Amino acid sequence: MTVALKLTDMETALIDQLPQDAPLRAVLSEHGLPHRRVEEWKWTDLRTVVGKLPAEPGVLTFTISREPDAWAEQDEEPSLLMPRLASALGEDIQVYTLEDGERLELGLEASSGVSNQQVLVLVPEGVKAELVESYAVEPDGFANLTLVIVVMPGAELDRVIEQHASPDAALVVTSLIDLAPGAKLNQTTLGFGAKLARLETHVSHAGEGAELQLDGAYVLDEGLHLDQTSLVRHEGPNGVTKELFKGAAARGAKGVFQGKIHVEQAAQKTDAQMQHRGLLLDDKAEIDAKPELEIYADDVVCAHGNAFGALDEDALFYMRQRGLPESKARALLTQSFLAEPIERIRDEDDRERLLARLMVGLEALS
Amino acid sequence: MLVIENLQARVDAEDGDGRQILKGVSLKVPAGEVHAIMGPNGCGKSTLSYVLSGRDGYEITGGSMSFDGQDLAEMEPEERAAAGVFLSFQYPVEIPGVPTLTFIKEALNAQKRLRGEDEVPAPAFMKLAREAAAQLGISNDMLKRPVNVGFSGGEKKRMEIFQALMLQPKFLILDETDSGLDIDALKVVAEGVNALRNEERGMLVITHYQRLLDYLKPDVVHVMAAGRIQETGGPELAHKLEKEGYDKYAGEAA
Repeated sequence: MTVALKLTDMETALIDQLPQDAPLRAVLSEHGLPHRRVEEWKWTDLRTVVGKLPAEPGVLTFTISREPDAWAEQDEEPSLLMPRLASALGEDIQVYTLEDGERLELGLEASSGVSNQQVLVLVPEGVKAELVESYAVEPDGFANLTLVIVVMPGAELDRVIEQHASPDAALVVTSLIDLAPGAKLNQTTLGFGAKLARLETHVSHAGEGAELQLDGAYVLDEGLHLDQTSLVRHEGPNGVTKELFKGAAARGAKGVFQGKIHVEQAAQKTDAQMQHRGLLLDDKAEIDAKPELEIYADDVVCAHGNAFGALDEDALFYMRQRGLPESKARALLTQSFLAEPIERIRDEDDRERLLARLMVGLEALS
Repeated sequence: MLVIENLQARVDAEDGDGRQILKGVSLKVPAGEVHAIMGPNGCGKSTLSYVLSGRDGYEITGGSMSFDGQDLAEMEPEERAAAGVFLSFQYPVEIPGVPTLTFIKEALNAQKRLRGEDEVPAPAFMKLAREAAAQLGISNDMLKRPVNVGFSGGEKKRMEIFQALMLQPKFLILDETDSGLDIDALKVVAEGVNALRNEERGMLVITHYQRLLDYLKPDVVHVMAAGRIQETGGPELAHKLEKEGYDKYAGEAA
């Protein structure tokens, strides 16, 4: 027996916008938006948070370094709920085909109200390119964005994402990435959270020399929430995945790290490493983590690690003994703890820019 | 300069019943003098260095310690540093992500701000750094690396003295600075320390062995055992200890 779900105003509004014959209508009516009793969303109760936000249509402002190459309609519906919504309710898909050496900047700012959009980025065979994204949502806004990224054989993409602190707003960015044989992706996120923010990354990893570096750092001030969830699926042999996430949460903030690496039986000789380190800046801070390896191949090197801690008291004393005030010593130590994923960014300008943003974020902690 | 009188301290313990480590230490180091404290492991030498520099985890249960007339017990670690107390750590701490020179510059300027002095201009700082590095055989590459990260034990000790040369403290506490050093490194470090010796600066050299003292030539040697100074003498005392060991003081521990 299923108990009928009492839909929130937000859910009703979303359903009303969907075509009468859309199967998604039934899915939403029955299950609602993802909430804490859905395993994948157990620490990120999207339904409750956006249920309190106004359901009127919002406006998305794009700041892009160039026009899209094309606008396309969805030919194949995604399977995950949030991308399905983005696809059904957003404008036509923006399509970018990157050229060798190109740096595409994609800045997205969402107003109050609800916005959905899907973007497709193609990195053709052998092309090396950069994708630099930034996301911000104004108070009372709920933005649901989906990026489909295809890195074709032998192509390389460096992806740098900055998610600006967006209090009183909700943001879901789902990245669906196809990493072809011999392709490389280096992705680094610096996130400051929102009332609720979820950056979800799915990678189909073909192996055959393909390499993925999936990194992230986060600094969460009081009342902010950031969920970084990833699923990497190794489908072919000889693939490499390196993941490093580090974050710090202040009093009343909540960080979530969910990382899963799935190694199929065909993906022999996979080398996959995943690390998450959380720093609790206060007794009243929360960081939840769930690193998972699911391995069906028998000849692989896979490891994951997860640790929480407070600042190193020995290092704090050492710095104070040299004359640094305690507050300065704490900020420097926190920065040095968080900088590691950012320092792996290959482009020097992006690296310096994000390190500076990180320090500003730390100094602004209340 | 440094006056310690009947200092007693214990380690904090969660049950509130910490072990008494310092059981009445008294000594005076006037400006310009180098005093050595020798003693067996566990006698309280390192505890004394931590209590003097203000590390958490110790409770002062009696006596006093003052530096240039200021009560050290009332001061935060960074205030003691700004007053001129420098501790060369037995185990220097690694600080990933903070480049060595950046760290020292921040520390120096923080001390100067606390003292109400002007910050040091970058060119003057760099000149000082180059000279001090050359003196201690420290490469440019080491200065760019994060504080102590990936350094050998000996390199870390050399870095401690480099920091002392940069910060020019009034008083140095060298805690087992000779441990982990081979003979060549020991000489380099000792020369660095000797370069800091002058009539205004005092030093307290904590060591288990006499070999560092061969280079530093202390004015006074104290023997510490069982949380107290057991004997005080001239440099000859260090040689005597090297020959005879600390056995004769073992009874004092009871």
